[in-house]
Amino acid sequence: MDCGDVLAAWFAILMRGLWLLVSVAIGCAAAYAAPAQIPGAEAVYATAPPRLLQIRTLVAGAGQQTSYGSAFLVSADGLAITNYHVVSQVVLEPKTYRLEYTAADGTHGEVHLLGVDLPDDLAIVRIDKHDAPFFTFDPAAIHGDVPKGERLYAMGNPLELGFTIVEGTYNGLVEHSYIDRIHFTGALNPGMSGGPAVTPDGAVVGINVATRRGGQLVSFLVPARFAEALLRRVREVKETPDLRAEIGRQIAATRKSLYRSLREQGFRSVALGPYRGAETDAPWFNCWAQTNAGVAPKPRFAMNSTSCNSETSLFVASDLNTGNIQISHSYVSSTELNEFQFATYLAQLSQPRLVGGGPYRKWYTPERCREDFVGSASAPDRPSLRVLWCAQAYREFDDLYDVVLVAVTQDNGSEALVSRLSMQAVGYDDAMDIGRRFLDAVRVGK
Amino acid sequence: MIWVEILSRHRDVVSRVRIAGDEATIGRGYDNDVIVDDPYVAAHHLLILRDEAGQLVAKDLGSVNGTFLDGSKSRITQLAIDGGKPLRIGQTLLRIRTGDYAVESERKVLAERGTLSTVMVAAMTVIVLAFIVLRVWLAQTGEPRLSHYMTPLLTMTGVVLVWVGIWALVSRLLAGRSQFLHNLMIALVAVLVSLLYNELAKYSAFGLTWRVPVDYEYAATWLVLAAACFLHLRAISARGIWLKGTIVGALTVLAIGVQTLQRSEAFSDLGRRTTARLLLPPAFRTVPLRTPDAFFANVAGLKASLDADRRQVKHSERPR
Repeated sequence: MDCGDVLAAWFAILMRGLWLLVSVAIGCAAAYAAPAQIPGAEAVYATAPPRLLQIRTLVAGAGQQTSYGSAFLVSADGLAITNYHVVSQVVLEPKTYRLEYTAADGTHGEVHLLGVDLPDDLAIVRIDKHDAPFFTFDPAAIHGDVPKGERLYAMGNPLELGFTIVEGTYNGLVEHSYIDRIHFTGALNPGMSGGPAVTPDGAVVGINVATRRGGQLVSFLVPARFAEALLRRVREVKETPDLRAEIGRQIAATRKSLYRSLREQGFRSVALGPYRGAETDAPWFNCWAQTNAGVAPKPRFAMNSTSCNSETSLFVASDLNTGNIQISHSYVSSTELNEFQFATYLAQLSQPRLVGGGPYRKWYTPERCREDFVGSASAPDRPSLRVLWCAQAYREFDDLYDVVLVAVTQDNGSEALVSRLSMQAVGYDDAMDIGRRFLDAVRVGK
Repeated sequence: MIWVEILSRHRDVVSRVRIAGDEATIGRGYDNDVIVDDPYVAAHHLLILRDEAGQLVAKDLGSVNGTFLDGSKSRITQLAIDGGKPLRIGQTLLRIRTGDYAVESERKVLAERGTLSTVMVAAMTVIVLAFIVLRVWLAQTGEPRLSHYMTPLLTMTGVVLVWVGIWALVSRLLAGRSQFLHNLMIALVAVLVSLLYNELAKYSAFGLTWRVPVDYEYAATWLVLAAACFLHLRAISARGIWLKGTIVGALTVLAIGVQTLQRSEAFSDLGRRTTARLLLPPAFRTVPLRTPDAFFANVAGLKASLDADRRQVKHSERPR
C-alpha cells in the first residue's frame, strides 16, 4: 500500500492532486553552538540519526509490512511524533495490525500508540528507548513567526532507501486552506511522512505530511504547534483513550467547527441568468466556472455553471477521505429543446449522486431521500422548486451524515437553475440549517 | 352399418373401415374385417356384434394383452358400444360407431376473423410505433439522429414479430390455425399497455411525487407479460383455462419474486436505488407546493430512519 496517497483532499487546486506523504527528521539539538556561518545539511544531519525512526505497519498475523512512514523522538523517555496516516490502520483495526519501529542503528522494537490528532494528521507513539537524544520544537514556529524563505531540512526514510535529509525553503502557510499547512518547497517522497522539518539549528518547524502531485517540489508540513499541543495533551492524560472512538469524536468536532464557520461566513448571492443562488464567501473554497458555449456540435441548450469545492477532506483511513463541501449552480436555458426534452436534460443534471468518500459497504448506511415541490405563492421572487434531499449515515460515527440537496427551479419550462449543495460528514441539524439557507437564497428576478 | 376407426395418440382418425353388416372381427390376422398392425394386438382380438337386444357389443376374444376403455386400467371382456370413448387394444385406439351416430352440430367460422380486421391490427401497429417515436423524440437532448429512432423501432418490431411468430406456430401445431392477427393484436396491446404504464409512472413520480409506480414498474411489466401469455394460450384453445391461468400466475409470481430478490440484493450492495429521478415540464405538477417549513419537517423525519439503519448495521456487524 502506498502510504503516499493519503491526504487527498484538503487543498483546493484545479488538478486534484494526490498528496504524497513525507517524513523528515531533523538533526541538530539545542546544544549546537551557533557558528558565524549558517550550517549546511551535513551539520544538521550529523546528530539526527539517533532521533529518527522508521515506523512500519505490519499485519499482526503474518508479520509482513503493509505500509511505512517516518517518526522522530521528542522526549528522552521515548515519545515520538509521526503522522496519523502512518498509523491509521492500527488505530482502526488494532487486532489486525501492529506497529514496529526501526532506528538508524538498525535496532527495532514495538511501538505503542498514545494519541492521535486526526484533523492535523498527527499521532504520538511511545517506543522503548530511554535517555535517547530528541528533537525540540522551534519557538519561532510555535508562535508562527518563521520568516518566509528560511531554509528548512526535511528528514525521513523515503521509499525505504535509508534515512535522508532534504533541503528546502519555508514558504509560509498555504493560502485558501481551511486547515493550517506549511508550504515547504522541497522534495518530499513517500515514506518521509511523519518525519521532521527543522531549521538550520535543528529545531522542528513542521512535520512532513504531503506533496502535491503534478507540482514541482510543492510539499506540505503540519505546523509544529499542533504537534506540541498534542504532546502536551498526551502527557496530561495518563490513560490512553479508545482511539477508535476518539477519532470519531475528533471528526465530529472538526466537522462541527467547519460547518459552523461555513455558516458564519454566510452565503453571498451569485447571479446566473435571471436567477440567483447561494455561494459561499469562505476563502477556503475554490470556485470554477463552466460553459457549453464553445462546444461543437452546437448544443441545443445553453448552460453556464459555477462549482465551488471546499477541499476540506480529511484522511480517516486508506479507503475513506471525507469532509468535503461542494456548492454548484447550473443555469440552463433551452435554445432548441421543447419542454419535455428540456426536463429530460434537467433530470440528468439533477440526479442526487451522493458521493461517499469511501466504499459504501464498509462506511455507510443506505441512502434515503425525500423529494417534493417547495415554494410559497406569496413571495414572487422565490421560484417554486423541485427539491431532492438524500442522506446516508456513517456506520461508525454517530451523528455524521453525507447529505446532498438538489433544487431545480420550476417557474419556467425552458430555463432553470439547478442548485446543488453536497456536504460530507456533517451533523444532521447543521445540514438542515445550511440546506435551508441555501434553498432560501434561490431567487428569480423578473 | 358400422364404422371402425383407428385413432392416433391425439385421438385424430388415422383410418376408418366401413363394415356393411352387423358383425366384424378386429385383429392382426389377415382373416379379420379390420386389420391392426400392432404387435401387441392378438391375431383375433375383438369381435363386434349385435346382441339379442340389438345393442352393439365388443367382445374380447381371449387376447393376452386385453381390451380397455381409453384412460382406464380395468380389463374388459365384453362392452356395450356407444361410440363415445375409444377402446384400446394393444397400443392402438379404436372407435366404433354406427351409421346413425349423432355428430356435433356445425361450428361457426371463427368469430375473431370477422371482428379483428387487418385494418385494426395495422392501426394498432402504427399507434405503438408512433408512441415509441414520440418517446424517443421527447427524451432527445442531443443532436437528433435517425438511428436513435430506427434502433428502438426495429428492435421492437423484431421482438414482437419473433414473439408473435412463436405463438402462431404453437397455435398452428396444437389448434390447427395460426391466428396470426389475433396473436399480433395481443402482443401490440401488451406493448402499448407497458408503454402507457411507464408514462403514468413517470407522471406519478413527478406530478404526484409518488414513486411507488416507478419503483415497482418491473412487477407491472411482468404482469402485462403474464396477461399476454394467458391471452395467447386462450387463443390456442379455451380448454383448461383455469389450469393455464394458474400456471401463468405461478410463473409470474416466481419471476416477480426473483427480480425483487435481485433488486434488494443490488440495493444492499450499492446502498441506493437504481431507478433515476425524473423530471417533467413544470406544468405537470399536480400536488400543491409545500412550504420550506413542511419540507424540512419531512427531511428532519428522515434522521430517525438513518439512525435506525445505523443501529441495525452496527447490530448485525461482528463485534470488534
